[in-house]
Amino acid sequence: MIKAAFKQGFMVLCAIYVALPIMVVCLSALNGGRSMLFPPEDPTLGRFLDFFVNEPVWLNSLENSVIIALSAATLAILITWPIAYDQWKKDTKFSKVLASLAGLPFALPPIVFGVGLSFLWTFIGGLGHMFTGILSHTALLAALPLVTISIGLQSIDRAHLDAAATMGASEGTILRTIILPQTLSYTLSGFFFVVVLSFHEFIVMFFVSASSYATVTLQIFNSLRNGFTPTMAVGAITFLIVSLIVFSLTARFGDLPRLMGADQARKD
Amino acid sequence: MSYPAVSGDIEVDREAGKGGPAFAAYIRGLGPANIIMGVITAVILFVFVAPFLLVIVVSFGEKIEGASWVWGFDFSNYIRVFVGVDWPNSVTLLYALKLYYTLAYAVLGSLIAVGFAFPFTYFMTQGSRRSQAMWLVFVLASLSMSEVFVVMGWDILLSNRSGLPALLKAVGITSWLKDTGWLAVLRDWDLASPRNVKFKTSQLATVLTMAYLVWPYAVILLFAPLSRIDRSMIEAARTMGAGSLTVLRTIVLPAVRLPVLGSLLLLFVYLLGTYVSVTYFAAPAHQTLPVSIYESIRGATLNAPFGAAQAVILLITAGIFIGFSLMLARLAERKA
Repeated sequence: MIKAAFKQGFMVLCAIYVALPIMVVCLSALNGGRSMLFPPEDPTLGRFLDFFVNEPVWLNSLENSVIIALSAATLAILITWPIAYDQWKKDTKFSKVLASLAGLPFALPPIVFGVGLSFLWTFIGGLGHMFTGILSHTALLAALPLVTISIGLQSIDRAHLDAAATMGASEGTILRTIILPQTLSYTLSGFFFVVVLSFHEFIVMFFVSASSYATVTLQIFNSLRNGFTPTMAVGAITFLIVSLIVFSLTARFGDLPRLMGADQARKD
Repeated sequence: MSYPAVSGDIEVDREAGKGGPAFAAYIRGLGPANIIMGVITAVILFVFVAPFLLVIVVSFGEKIEGASWVWGFDFSNYIRVFVGVDWPNSVTLLYALKLYYTLAYAVLGSLIAVGFAFPFTYFMTQGSRRSQAMWLVFVLASLSMSEVFVVMGWDILLSNRSGLPALLKAVGITSWLKDTGWLAVLRDWDLASPRNVKFKTSQLATVLTMAYLVWPYAVILLFAPLSRIDRSMIEAARTMGAGSLTVLRTIVLPAVRLPVLGSLLLLFVYLLGTYVSVTYFAAPAHQTLPVSIYESIRGATLNAPFGAAQAVILLITAGIFIGFSLMLARLAERKA
């Protein structure tokens, strides 16, 4: 009894510790003045109006964030799907090397990758263009869909494939009728992981945007010279809500514990 | 790398393309699958791998005063990082010190994060599948919070005007600290001003924010190994009368020793590149390599080769520790 209470208590304390700064940011968005006070003074929803309507700089950066996140996620899926499929199907040395190279940018400190990308884009003259920003996030975050798609491919029942093959289905038919539908939820999870992490990513975009455009996180950092303001907190709330929706949907329509590597035999 | 090394069906296709020059025939003979893999390989090499190679190559370059920089091949940028630009006449440890702070913060941050994440994840995996999924949503949402937002939150919580120091003052702990002389001790530790405790700027705030940043990652990394522990072993131990601590010591810890160590290494590598927390919470004298990398490449000093050299040192450090963690993963696999 005491043990159970201790466990629950510890977990709740951890949750509070994790939620505290986020909650404080969210509540600060209600401040009436320009400074971040906690508890908020003169509470108002005016800052939401500022963020979404009155101050175009925020809406503009939000638009950039959305464009970059969605494009990067799409590209990441297009690049990693064939890699994961090739590795699952053929398992050659080449496919293994390709898969590990695709995961490289995510495994190493992002600041080093950001520096390298800023050199690369400078050489080809693309520094500060939106498309290089998109490609940068594609490369940085491709490891996530690579992992989720690989997990999805491994979860396909081999018996289905054998059955289809004995009935004379071609590789293309099997891919279309069995493999793609069965891995769809894993592919979507990978897509949304990239979207969410791209939204929040800071340091790589900091290097490759070269101040010619700004995402929301960049805009916040750039405005820091004047200190944090409640309007920035609205950006934080918007992003938090997007992440919560995305991960809840993943949990609802996919098997989140399995995606995170839990033992699949346990289903209680 | 121009010929994608994709399995045997190329040989068959090549037969079909007889007649033209070898290369054209080769291209014509490629199936769509091979062309897709070829394009993807090119993209991977150009966007995923080339940036790292560029950092390494540029780090050997040379800055020209009042201009940009030129290609070169000497180690002066590396020498400058470790012993200063005027070596061997004099030795400056300015950048070596930055490297030390980079490593120290990353070690402490990852240790604290795993220390708190381990019991949390252990308790979490004992819950039902449904409660696990709910906790995972919570952890993932906090994991994805941008460093910028996290720093914003801790900035408010630790600020002198409306955060923890103000709270301590309001409930009278500050005056108690003054009376008992603890405030003087805190001032020696750089955690107090003459009037109140302060956390901005302090190394404590830096390390705690970094630990906070990777705590959700620690949970995710520990979740898989902890949830795979054989439940029947634990049940068996329980029925034979083993207490929770005995179970933890004799079954759980031995089973997850390697994954825990592996997680520590990965979080450490992740924290090596922390930028926002350090610029915001650490005093200039206690800042790290990522901050000075930025200064060199985009900021005030504009010396790309020197920035690249610092990045390479970070890269090598990260590479060594990732190598260790891969070794551990292989060891764990062999044991399983």
